[in-house]
Parts: sequence; structure tokens; C-alpha cells
Amino acid sequence: MAEKSETKPQNKPEELRIGVFICHCGLNIAGVIDIKELVEFAKTLPDVVFVKDNRYTCADPGQEEIRKAIKEHKLNRVVVAACSPRMHEVTFRRTVSEAGLNPYLFEMANIREFSSWCHSSTPREATEKAKDIIKMAVAKARLLMPLQTIEVPVTNRALVIGGGIAGINAALDLAEMGFKVYLLEKSESIGGHMAQLDKTFPTLDCSICIEGPKMVDVGRHPNIEIISYADLLSVSGFIGNFKVRVRKNPRYVIEENCTGCGECKDVCPIEYPNEWDMGLGTRKAISVPFDQAVPLVYTINRDYCIECYKCVDACGARQAINFDQKPEEIELEVGAIIVATGYDIYLPYDNQLFGYGRYTNVITSIEFERLILAAGPTGGKVVRASDGQKPHSVAFIQCVGSRDTNKYPYCSNFCCMYTLKHVVQLKEKYKEDVEVYVFYMDMRTNFKGFEEFYQRARELGVNFIRGRVSRIFEDPKTKKLIIHAEDANLGMPIEVEAEMVVLATAAIPKKGTEEVARILNLTRGADGFFMESHPKLKPLDAPTDGIFLAGACQGPKDIPYSVSQGCGAAARAATVLSKKTWKIEPIIAVVDPSKCRNVTVKCGICAERCPYGAIKVEEKQPAQVITAMCHGCGTCVAECPADAIQQMHFTDAQILAQLRTALEKDPEDKILAFLCNWCSYAGADLAGTSRFEYPPTIRPIRVMCSGRVDRDFVLEAFRLGAGMVLVAACHLPYDCHYISGNWKMKARMDALAPMLHKLGLSPERFRVEYISAAEGVKFAELIREMTEQMKALGKERIKAENQKLRPILENMLKRKEKR
Amino acid sequence: MPLKTLKKADAETLTLEWILHVKNYKLTLSRKLCVGCEICSLVCPKEAIKLVNQPKTVDGKAQKAKVDITLEKCNFCGICDILCPYGAVKVTLNGEHVLNVVEKESFPTIIRDIQVDAAKCPVDCVECEKACPLKIIKVTWQTPDGKVLEDLSGVSYREGLKVNVNVDKERCPCCRVCEFKCPEGLLRVRKAFYGVIRIHPEKCPEGCRDCLDVCPITGALYLSEADGKVHVNEVFCVYCGACKVVCPVDGALELKRTKIMHTPVRSGAWNKALERLASPLEMTKELKAKSSLKALDSVERRFIRRPS
Repeated sequence: MAEKSETKPQNKPEELRIGVFICHCGLNIAGVIDIKELVEFAKTLPDVVFVKDNRYTCADPGQEEIRKAIKEHKLNRVVVAACSPRMHEVTFRRTVSEAGLNPYLFEMANIREFSSWCHSSTPREATEKAKDIIKMAVAKARLLMPLQTIEVPVTNRALVIGGGIAGINAALDLAEMGFKVYLLEKSESIGGHMAQLDKTFPTLDCSICIEGPKMVDVGRHPNIEIISYADLLSVSGFIGNFKVRVRKNPRYVIEENCTGCGECKDVCPIEYPNEWDMGLGTRKAISVPFDQAVPLVYTINRDYCIECYKCVDACGARQAINFDQKPEEIELEVGAIIVATGYDIYLPYDNQLFGYGRYTNVITSIEFERLILAAGPTGGKVVRASDGQKPHSVAFIQCVGSRDTNKYPYCSNFCCMYTLKHVVQLKEKYKEDVEVYVFYMDMRTNFKGFEEFYQRARELGVNFIRGRVSRIFEDPKTKKLIIHAEDANLGMPIEVEAEMVVLATAAIPKKGTEEVARILNLTRGADGFFMESHPKLKPLDAPTDGIFLAGACQGPKDIPYSVSQGCGAAARAATVLSKKTWKIEPIIAVVDPSKCRNVTVKCGICAERCPYGAIKVEEKQPAQVITAMCHGCGTCVAECPADAIQQMHFTDAQILAQLRTALEKDPEDKILAFLCNWCSYAGADLAGTSRFEYPPTIRPIRVMCSGRVDRDFVLEAFRLGAGMVLVAACHLPYDCHYISGNWKMKARMDALAPMLHKLGLSPERFRVEYISAAEGVKFAELIREMTEQMKALGKERIKAENQKLRPILENMLKRKEKR
Repeated sequence: MPLKTLKKADAETLTLEWILHVKNYKLTLSRKLCVGCEICSLVCPKEAIKLVNQPKTVDGKAQKAKVDITLEKCNFCGICDILCPYGAVKVTLNGEHVLNVVEKESFPTIIRDIQVDAAKCPVDCVECEKACPLKIIKVTWQTPDGKVLEDLSGVSYREGLKVNVNVDKERCPCCRVCEFKCPEGLLRVRKAFYGVIRIHPEKCPEGCRDCLDVCPITGALYLSEADGKVHVNEVFCVYCGACKVVCPVDGALELKRTKIMHTPVRSGAWNKALERLASPLEMTKELKAKSSLKALDSVERRFIRRPS
């Protein structure tokens, strides 16, 4: 792992000339906050020599103004007060560097998500809070140091996880661009859900006929290596340099020797329920899940095999069967990873209303798909399980599980359309012989050709009934089903008898999503699907650099959408893979060798606490940070007993300056909050984006990881009289983007809290909370709750407590004061 | 409806089922026919079958062990069905008693060699029916006009009656009791299971007769009047092992199967079953015999019966 150019701060004394740019963001900020007042206020701040407001600072003219001002007014620090740094920090860093300024001499003040959007009904307080936020940013800006980006080499190979239609397209596109691709698939064959389907909507072309050739292309492509029947074990490293460990599970068939002839299958005596058929049919103990499987390699299911070795005889001289095969672990080195793990179908066993699992003739849509498929277990005949006869009436029920606040609140995207496909297929196959009913809430047909398809279904004489089904009963003798529903158009309850019921159930996150999220450090939304980096502008990027998302793992998607995402993710990954080196943010940890205790005594705390093992400590030597391995969480900085480590761009001095500025005025009324960049800060952003209002009491300080929050920060905040202190982190146990920074913070704060209580601090004044990027509501509620608690305690009590605490804290902080 | 797995147990039967959309696999164990021997639990390739020992009855008699099958492990292969000496297990597919492992020659069937020369039977003799400990022999008579009579009470004539001896072969463990009881020597039974059984009376607890309580074959075990302990009559023993399952003392009862009469087969599953049922040694013996047979076969094919 080679790296880097110099990252040492270059400290030369210079006169500070700070420019502050305040953005109206149309009316998003200016509609609530008094911009003029902010401009006047900013002019009064120390070292600020230039203040300007723009309608849209991020637009070209706005950026041009920054560049112009840097040159004309010889600005050497820039503060933009606008939206969240998670949104435009990168944009403005580029802007200032275009004007010749080091990009790390830029600081952002988030007055939109953190003020105008969340305090819109209290413009006065919002303006005051915005002033504080700008003041804090300027305080930090005064201490900023120029930093040089680090460059790391890029391995120009990619890993695609999941061989469904999204993963297939991602792999093919990357391979065509000339990059080596590993396509990792959990099951025996690639193909995913699309290979299970009969026809595709709205064109009714055969699903496997169009996917099959693509699968064959993948199998044949010289740049693609399919690693099927394998599990992802672990991923380490960083963008451009991922190390991936994979376990190939034994098929008991040697991949290279198997010709896919299927003679073994013919002699095998054992059958078991085929999961590919949703357990409607069976497959042999040695078999492929479906005829078009890629790779066409047979697999023995040892759970069912009786080891008669008839297959060994049948295979004969090809010698492809090996009962002694063991799981094999391999390591891959890749530069980018595309996650395309897909979705699962909800099986409504737990929903008593529809009788799934109890009534023989209630099936799900995916099971119907396997029934109507010519290659399926019934040879394409739609028959009832109870008597093997064709049903004369079939009822389709929409939104089973989806759009249900008690189950899955989201819309599953493709159910309306596949149900239309099913009813058209059924009607065209059996004509007048079958009566079809569809119970729906809304028919969502909002893409190309969809509405016309809906029209076609209506013309075929399908009965569309708008309304929810309240209950299904089974006639125990005939096994017919009596559906009780409400017809919203008639406004009255109705009863329909059907011989078969098909449930359009929700698409849910794939089993194992949690595991993948943990291994790759991905975040999941409230619905359980993976979260993209930005819902609008980075829909394919995972929050971790170098990892991209494609297809239904990010939310339910139909085939064309998944294909586009696969291709899109391939293009995104190529932006990394096509480079020889990649630039990494230099916000890493740096050890001051003159302060490091390890020179004199045995210390090594930093190395022990580093989640990445990026610190090397040798006896009698100062600790050393391995630059390319450091992810910049700052945990070691907070842990160092001698304060010998600094995190670039998040130095103690910078954070303390923000903190002191925030608490200059009326500290007793304020909640000082440390928010970790990936979860809590994003959650707070989401509260703003969602326009959840909460009291303007909070003064946020952004750190990359909660692990960076030094206990001294908390002590200093209370010394200065803060009303409350909040440390917010990613959820335990696995959500931390730096593996375990949140755990280190927890241990630290768990020790600190009881000490503060003993000294007389009311317990509610110091809080540690866990807020994910999806929990905007929780953030808003937390601030509301804390503000109420603060009010309940009363300013007098807080002041009294502070008075008592102050001398003790001052004593404790003396060490810091000396520096 | 998706795959539904079922397990039902009552006093009479234990039923396991896979109900798929178009296929139905069903395993039925008749508690009445089951004697609690160890054979199915030994041969099950998925180790799905367990024997559960039962408490003694109020009058101190040992009870046969109860068979339990784990639904999640069972693959409905039917090996237990094939090897059950008493025909207590039936595996069916869509209601038909068809076993894939036999059809595909992955597993042999037991040869139950029972021959009756009923033509020579004295018309009034029902000794075999009376003697059968499992009550699976039924003697019937055919009148000259083709009618089948179940019994002879009320039939005055004997002339022209044809005797039929019907043996329910599937349920026959081949104990040979009928053979010995036949006064005319017209029945010939070859054992299906061969082996060795020894009871060491010195190890038997005083008054223990658990093995005798559960033995389904009358006469295979008997209480000796000399020492008051249970002894073996190997002639009738079918080596099922029901006695061994309930024996309370380690080593008091030794049972070893050495040979099983079966249709010819070449199958790893059978080798394993044989290994567990008898011993690794017996399995090797059979394999060796098979390979010499194979050599013989190939010699024959090459030099004697060259196929056209």
C-alpha cells in the first residue's frame, strides 16, 4: 500500500483575511432568516474583511463571485453560510482551489438544514442561531491550515456483489470497458429474480429468453469471473484498494469438469422442494436450479443426498463429482465494489386476514408466476393445489404488506404492473373460462406503455374493484374462497367467491442485507434497504467511497430501472477504476513525536484503540500513523492521554474554538451537540430537509466520528456553562462508519457521566444518543425533549450547578490551559 | 400454496408429509406394527430417526421404544420403509407406494424368501396360521366353483377344496416359526437377516426380563426355569434388536448382524446402511464378493456370452 504526499501543516504566520459568503438559497434561507442582518453581523467578526450575499452561492455566478473576491480582496480563508457541508462542501472546496486557495482553508456554515428549514416559524430565533453558526464557522476558519491531498494507487478491478439483472449489467458494462470484474453470487446460478419470471410487462416478452443470452454473455466474457455459490466474508481497505475475502461453498461437483450434461440428475433417486419454484415443485438432490443456469454446473444438496453414488457412476470418466470438496476461502483485490444484492418477496404467513399458509388455494404472485410458466412445475397450467383443477375464478389482491403502516409502509413499485400482466395472461389463456377480479388501492401505471397495458386488461373484461379486502374465508368442502371486501366506488361492503386467490406481496430487503451492510459499512434506511449517498444527486453511490449501489437492494425496482442502475453504477465505478491514483482527504491523524508518551513510558493506547490498526507503536519510539490506512475518524486523538495526536482539519484547537464561540452568550440556554458526520449529522440534516421543526436551542459541531469527541470537550463545555451537552453517534453495534468509533466513545462517556453526576451535574444535562441518517424524526424529537428538560431544570438551577462545577472543571482542564 | 410440511402424531400412527403444489410425499409409521427395534434409526441416511425409551408399565413390564422422526431432517427417501422387517413404515408419492431409490437402483430390497407348497397341505391344518407370532399368515380354501372360504366351520365336505396359505410378505421378518410348526414340512423360510445374539446371564439383573417383554417373536427368547434368566433361541431370532434397545445393562445382551439378504445393487447408500446395520467388516466382505462377481461377470461377457 504505497501512498501519499506530505501532509504536514505548513504554519507560516500570515495576516488572516476571511471572506464570508451568505447564500439566500432562493427563499429557502432568505424566506426565514434576515440575510441583511447576517451580513452586518458577519462584518463585525474578527478577521472578516469581506462579506457578500448571493441568491445561489452554489450556482456558477455565485462561485465566480467567490473566486473574484479571493483575488481582489486577497482572501486567505473562506466561509460559505448556506446548506449542509454534506451537500456542497466539495463544490466550494473546488471553487476556492480554482482561485488558488488551498481547499482546506474553506469552512461551511450550515444555516439551511440547521436553521431556516427547521425553525421556519420562529424567524427571529432562526436568525440568532444562524449568527451563532456563522460565528462558529469563522472561529474555526481562523485556525484552518492548508492541507495537501493524499494520493493512493487504484487497483483497476471491480467486484459486483449479486448476479441479478442489475449486477449482470454492471458486470458486463465494466468488462466491456476493459476492467476485470469478479461477479459474486450467493446462489448456484446468476440470473436473480428475473430468471424466475414467466413474462415481462408491458410487452409480454419471455423473461428468460431475454435474460438468458445476457447470462451467457457474462459466462463467456474473458473479463468476467463468476464466483457463484459463494459468500462474502469480509471487506477491508478503502477506495481503490479493497481486499475482499470470499468463501466458495462446496458444490461437490468440480466446476471445471462438469459439462452440464445432466446424466447425473437422471439417475438421482432423491427429490427435494425446489426453492427456485418457491417450493411448488421438486428438484433432484444433484441438479441445476433451472435449465438456463450460468454457470451450468450441477450442485449436490447434501441435506438431502443419501450418497448412493449413482451420479458418480453416471458421470464416469468425466470425474466431475467429488464428495470430499471443502469450502474454499479466496481473497480478491479490487478498486471498486458494486452492491446489487436485490430483494426478497414477503410471504404473509403472519397475516391472518388472507389465510396464506392455511388455505390451500391462496398463493403469492411469485408462486403464480411459477405456475403459469411453461417450464414450471405444472408445465404452465394454472391449477389449484387442492384438487389439481383449473380455477374458474381468480381474485388478485394488491398491496399485501406494502403500503401498510403496520408492516411495510412503502409502495413496492412493481406489483400493480405484474398483477396486470398476470390478469392479461390468464384472460388470454383461458378467455371466457375464467373470471378475474383485482382488488386494489390505486393502480400505479406511471411508466412507458404501462397505462396502455392497464387499458388492455380492462378491455379483456377483468373486474377491477377499488377497495381493501377485510378477510378471506375458505369453504372447507369445496376449498373455494370467500372474499370480504369494501368496494370504495360503491361505498359498500361486498362479497366475492373465487377458486383461487393471488396475493401481490411486498418486496422486502434481501435476507442477509444486515450482514452485507455490516461488512461493507453501508447504511440502511428505515425500510431496511440500503441508503444512497444522496437521494437526488448521488443515487448510485454508497456513503463509503468506492462502493456503489445498483438495483433493488436500494429499494424495489422493475427490470428497466434495475438495468439502468446497473449500467449507471458501472459508469460510476469506472470513474474510480479508470484512474491510476485516487485522491484521499488528508483529514488524517498526525502524531507530534515530541509529545508522545511512548518515548519515555510504555503507552500504545492509540494503537490499541485505532479501529483500522493504522498506528504502529514500537518500544521507546513515538507512535506512527500509517497514512493510507488512516480513515480519519479521530478516535486516537481523543484517546491520547498526552494530547500528542491531532486530526487534521478537526484539531482540538479548532473544535474548542467552535465550542467557545457557541457558548459565548447565554450558554445556559444552549445545547452543545457533537454530531458524527455519517449518521447523526445526516439525521439532523434530514430533520431539516423534512422540515421537522424543533427548538433552536442546539449548537452543533460536526466531527467525522463520535470517537473524536474528547472528554475535555465535554468538560470545557460545562466549564463555560453549557445548558446541556449531547454526543450523537451511529447506532450500536455495527452502524459506525469507522467500524467501532462509537463503541470507543461509549466507553469514554460511560466513565465520564457518573463522575459528572457525582460532582453535582443533573444526569439529563449530559446525553449520549444514537441517531441514524434516516432518523430525522428522532433527532427533532430528541431536541424537543432535551429542550423541555432544560426548561424544567430552569436557568437558575443550571447556573447554580455550573457555579459548583466550575472550579473543579478548571482544575481538571489546567493541563489543556497550559498549552 | 407453497410447500407445506406436516407432522402428525397420535397413538396409532406418526405421519410426515411434504405437500407441494403438484406432489405429495408422505411417510406413515404404524405404531401398532412398529416393535421399537433399532433398524430404521440405524439406517436412516439423514439420521432423522430417534428411538425414545418408554417407562415401564404399572405391572413392571418393559415397553417397546417409541420411534420419533424429525421432519426437518427427513428426505422421504424410503430407506426405512425398505428395511423395516415388520413393514411398519410406508413412504408414498401422491398416494402410490413407489420408492425412487428402488426404481433408480440406488437401494436394494430385502429378499423375503418364503415358500409354501400349499398343494400338499392337509385340508384341516391351520398350524402355520396359529403359530405365526405376528398373525400375518392366513389360510383360505378355494371351492371347486372358485369361491374362497375364510374358514371351514359349517362346511361338511372336504373333497375338492384347495388350500391357500397367504403370507403378508411386506410385514414378515422371516422368523421361521411357521416353518418349524408345520407338521408336514411344507413351509420353507429363509432368514432375511443373519447374525449372532448372546445373552450373558451373569450380567443380567435379578429378575430382569425386559428383553423378553418386548421381543415380538414368540420363542426367540425364553425364560429358563433353571436360572430364572432369559435365554435365546437363535433359530427364531430375526436380529431386529428390539431387545437390545431396552436392555438396561451394557454388554448383557450382544447382538450382531452379519448378513442381510437383498437384491443385487451397487450403491454407496447401501454400503453405508450395511456398515451401520452390521459392521464395517461385513460391508467389506460384501464389497469383495461383489468385485469378484464383477470380475466373473466381465469374464463371462467377454469370453462366453459375447453380446451380438
